[in-house]
Amino acid sequence: MAARNALLKYMRVNVRPLQSPGAGSLGVSLSQLIRRHFSEEVKGSFLDKFEVTDRVTNVVKNFQKLDPSKVTPDAHFQNDLGLESLDTLEIVMALEEEFGFEIPDNEAEKINCINLAVKFIASHPQAK
Amino acid sequence: MSVASAAYLARRAAQKERVRILYRRALKDTLNWAVHRHLFYPDADALREKFEANRHVDNIETIDRMVAAGEATYNKWRHPDPYIVPWAPGGSKFCRNPPPPQGIEIIYNYGREDNV
Repeated sequence: MAARNALLKYMRVNVRPLQSPGAGSLGVSLSQLIRRHFSEEVKGSFLDKFEVTDRVTNVVKNFQKLDPSKVTPDAHFQNDLGLESLDTLEIVMALEEEFGFEIPDNEAEKINCINLAVKFIASHPQAK
Repeated sequence: MSVASAAYLARRAAQKERVRILYRRALKDTLNWAVHRHLFYPDADALREKFEANRHVDNIETIDRMVAAGEATYNKWRHPDPYIVPWAPGGSKFCRNPPPPQGIEIIYNYGREDNV
């Protein structure tokens, strides 16, 4: 027991010793053992919002029907940038390809400005 | 028939929605068929031209018929094996590793089971 503790201290693993060594119920020992959550790969990870904004603005700037200097993070596709609904859909598709995820049809309708797109992508756990 | 009644506007809005969804699906389908980008771009432009040519049609019945014809063409040309993002419904990774139920943990007490 002492040797084990010494070894663990050497390896600097934060182990909390059992406070009641005589406890027989499983409930007590469960709360005192080290817990580890399941890996995050399954749940996916959320992208950083600034990175998302940068990538989205790059995609929109590369769009050929637009003026690249007018693209700001607050731009509305139809009002500010002078696009039409079909162009908006093309941009949404380009964003889907860039980030590698899938938008359902009813959601894709509602994305008319860059802010909404950034919000949607940043809140989607599987957007790469 | 320029009476802007609510029913007429609602019908036009529904048609615009249908057109947009149709355009989106047709574009994805075009990408499914023409995998290489240098083939995809002319096809996407041709699709866009087809939609643009009928942009200024006003008669609501004609629009209905054209949208129905467009949807029939889309159904005819659908790819048998479309590319779906892996973790989307229909993809290969969908529901592959569902997250375990809440409250289940691993107890790391290997070698100490007897000392509880």
